[in-house]
Amino acid sequence: MLLLDRFIAVSKERESHPSFIHKGETISYGLLADWFNKLSYYFLDKIDKGDKVAILLDNCPEYAVGVYASWQAGGVVVGLNTSLKADDLTGLINHCGAKWLIADASNRQLSKLLEACDFNGVILLGDNGSVLEQIPPLVSLKDIFNSQIGQPPKSISIDQDSLAAIIYTSGTTGNPKGVMLSHNNLASNITSIQSYLPLRSDDKTLCILPFFYSYGNSILHSNITAGACLVLENSLMYPHKVLGAMVEHKVTAFSGVPSSYYLFLSRTKLAEYDLSSLRYCTQAGGAMDPVKIDAWREQVDADFYVMYGQTEASARLSYLPPDQLKNKSASVGISIPGVELSVRLPSGDPCKRGEKGEVCARGNNVMLSYFNAPDETAKVLKNGWLYTGDLGYFDEDEFLYLVGRNKEMIKSGAHRINPREIEETIASLEGVDEVAVVGKDDELLGQVIRACIVTSLDETTLKKTIMQKCRQNLATYKIPKELLFLKELPKTASGKIKKHLI
Amino acid sequence: MEAEKKIRDFILENYLFTDDQSELNNGDSFLEQGIIDSTGIMEVIYFIEEQFSIAVEDEEMIPDNLDSVNNLMKFISSKQG
Repeated sequence: MLLLDRFIAVSKERESHPSFIHKGETISYGLLADWFNKLSYYFLDKIDKGDKVAILLDNCPEYAVGVYASWQAGGVVVGLNTSLKADDLTGLINHCGAKWLIADASNRQLSKLLEACDFNGVILLGDNGSVLEQIPPLVSLKDIFNSQIGQPPKSISIDQDSLAAIIYTSGTTGNPKGVMLSHNNLASNITSIQSYLPLRSDDKTLCILPFFYSYGNSILHSNITAGACLVLENSLMYPHKVLGAMVEHKVTAFSGVPSSYYLFLSRTKLAEYDLSSLRYCTQAGGAMDPVKIDAWREQVDADFYVMYGQTEASARLSYLPPDQLKNKSASVGISIPGVELSVRLPSGDPCKRGEKGEVCARGNNVMLSYFNAPDETAKVLKNGWLYTGDLGYFDEDEFLYLVGRNKEMIKSGAHRINPREIEETIASLEGVDEVAVVGKDDELLGQVIRACIVTSLDETTLKKTIMQKCRQNLATYKIPKELLFLKELPKTASGKIKKHLI
Repeated sequence: MEAEKKIRDFILENYLFTDDQSELNNGDSFLEQGIIDSTGIMEVIYFIEEQFSIAVEDEEMIPDNLDSVNNLMKFISSKQG
């Protein structure tokens, strides 16, 4: 059963139950379904099958409504990172050809975006008089929700193998990588996740991870199609506020990336909060130090699920059953139902037990391809297998251990960052002779960005210019935390920069 | 008023990349309006600790204290008082 059908069914069954708690308001499944019907009705005769609908919203109930209503109309959802600058957003919108935009009216990049892109229609959440007057056709989501409609529109027939969503993993300029996921990809992965997690319809899950990334996207759909309630907190900027929400709403589940847990452990007095309602926690998005997992579990009595996956696999590939945390410390566990994992040598042959190779996966959750990038797709989809770019090995009990990546992507907090984007931004400045950007290990975020620069100019002046340029052009999470000035960059005989040495 | 100017200039220069004072209202929520993120708030804390000779405790890292120019001014004043 596709996610849309499951949402429609569950919103009837759970009509009076809460679907979201957000900014002090509780939204019932009945109200969510009403909003969904009205937006679907609005989309009738406006959206053609396959049209891309870009969503530029922080986590909120309206995000979910936008997704399900777009699917109902035959559209394809493209969730956009709300911390990106207008130029980056424009690049992604032009890349995927989105003709519709659902956006928060208070987004500071919106005016520039509306000037730069050619949309058939823009739907705004919240009021912003100056923007609303700016360029038609703009419509307020509130007006759509307040409209009167007749019978809810009938769902169009959806081919399960048709495109449901594009999730951009990294890269916004030059070479964006849009993961194309079908309805079947998403449905099979969510079904699998729901089979190994103890998720119940009476759960209250606190979600801090953005829906526009695959981890957040999987939390959204796994909870909503199960009839559970999502308590939304959009940032860990104030960790005490998030813990306060957990206590206030008697939250039963929490999902985070390693830095989420590190933040709680380092900046709050966890033990002073009554988290006894928590039944389970999940962690994905990079390796978490087992010592920190133990520290968390000493203070929070809840099952802890270590998980592993990637956007190209809709989200999830493996999980470590909580009762194996001690025995299989540092493992990312076993394959989830419906997924087959294999570790392979560069030749394509499977590795022996204990032998290191590239982690490969196959199953209904594996993406269709990258959007308009056949060469990139061919590098990762080979002979029916997804080559993840992660290196690892299986132990004698078929538990998977990761040992590194063979790609140079930087993982910082919940973000994946392509160093090339930052290198290009810095290299464009006068006086920068050479630049190399790498991830530097960081206790809190996993990695932070280090930029190494070769220049003959005054370093202090150039440092200021670089930071100014980065702040203007890059999303905050892409701004280097460290600028290192070197006389030269270490290189191989052929002139390639040896990034592992800097 | 000097505190207000210092805070406003810091936010405008480092997060809004402008010296146009009309870009920032003292009541604007840093979080809600996407002005600052979770790493940025640490920079703000380091800034006010250094500039106003105060120490921000972990449990004081809440929106009521930090999430707007007005809240920062109130918080700094209470710490100094």
